[in-house]
Amino acid sequence: MSEQVVSGSVFCVSASGQIESAQFMGFDNIYCKYCYKYGNDWSVASGLEDGVSQITRISDDNQLFVWNFPLDIAFKSSNPFGWPQLVLSVYGFDFFGNDVVRGYGSVHIPPVPGTHRKRVPMFAPQSSSLVHRWTSWFSGRKPEFIDPKVVAQSEGREVIRVSSNGYVTVVFNVVLKDFHKYGFTVQ
Amino acid sequence: MAEVFVFGQLLSVEAFPKQSLFCKWKLHFGTNWKVLEGLTTGQTQVDEPQAQETTYWCHPIDLHFVTKGIQGWPKLELQVWHQDSFGRCNICSYGFIHMPSQGGYHKITCHTWRPIGSLSDQISQFFTEDSLKLMNEEIITNENRSRLQTQAMGSVNLELYVVFKNFEIYGIET
Repeated sequence: MSEQVVSGSVFCVSASGQIESAQFMGFDNIYCKYCYKYGNDWSVASGLEDGVSQITRISDDNQLFVWNFPLDIAFKSSNPFGWPQLVLSVYGFDFFGNDVVRGYGSVHIPPVPGTHRKRVPMFAPQSSSLVHRWTSWFSGRKPEFIDPKVVAQSEGREVIRVSSNGYVTVVFNVVLKDFHKYGFTVQ
Repeated sequence: MAEVFVFGQLLSVEAFPKQSLFCKWKLHFGTNWKVLEGLTTGQTQVDEPQAQETTYWCHPIDLHFVTKGIQGWPKLELQVWHQDSFGRCNICSYGFIHMPSQGGYHKITCHTWRPIGSLSDQISQFFTEDSLKLMNEEIITNENRSRLQTQAMGSVNLELYVVFKNFEIYGIET
């Protein structure tokens, strides 16, 4: 946890909840990694900034992957710009047993106090050429982002080609402290 | 001064006849407004959906405005483009939305349109499936569009959160 000196009108955002479940077509046995991306005026007050879930198999009716993976973090900031985003990376195993990326997604932690259920669309980078697509199928090295946090930023997205497939459902319980006190209104 | 924070995502687009789409977006605002932090223009990724009809961009938008007056409320101009398998890009449709003027969560649908030309334009459009490009892009967000004929295209979905600062002090009710 980083401890930055934040003075003046500091408010707190606390988000607890879980990465509940996922829906994907065409593969099985997946796990999820998460991390947070936030602006320069933000710092983590408490809680875990990243984590890796268990590997889950699809339900018997072939509809849902369930992780039920807890999230608990609190941020401190003086500026709503750079509001934290939860970045998700879902990985699975291919036919040969290699770790391959199944999708990336991101969602803002809602700034409105209360319980929120968000359905996060997931997408995976596409190979840039047909040859690469075939060789990546054999070698198990599908294209992936060096830093998953790129899906939570606006710069540099124009060169990315993706294929969207699947959703992850995340539940947030958001509590704000001193937000209204320093002149911010959200409701 | 009063400040407005807008953040969220340019989420998806649906009901388009094509796939492999991306969006170029640009912000317009009046002279009372100033952007302190955040990008005012950008381009999303290109998505080719595997399993569903909706194209997902999930492009984050994060803006911090400071304003001296309510006039010239910010507008977001959207241009949906299509990238074919050879890498060529062609415009598909245009649209715009105003930034929400109420705090909280907003799920916004922007219906887009494309200009139609003469009969010969429409015939060539039938074969090449390219939309006509506007010569003057000001009319996307300005009011004067007389003599222009357009056709409805798909719709762009956005999810935005709006936070105000000091609006109550200046007596602005939203």
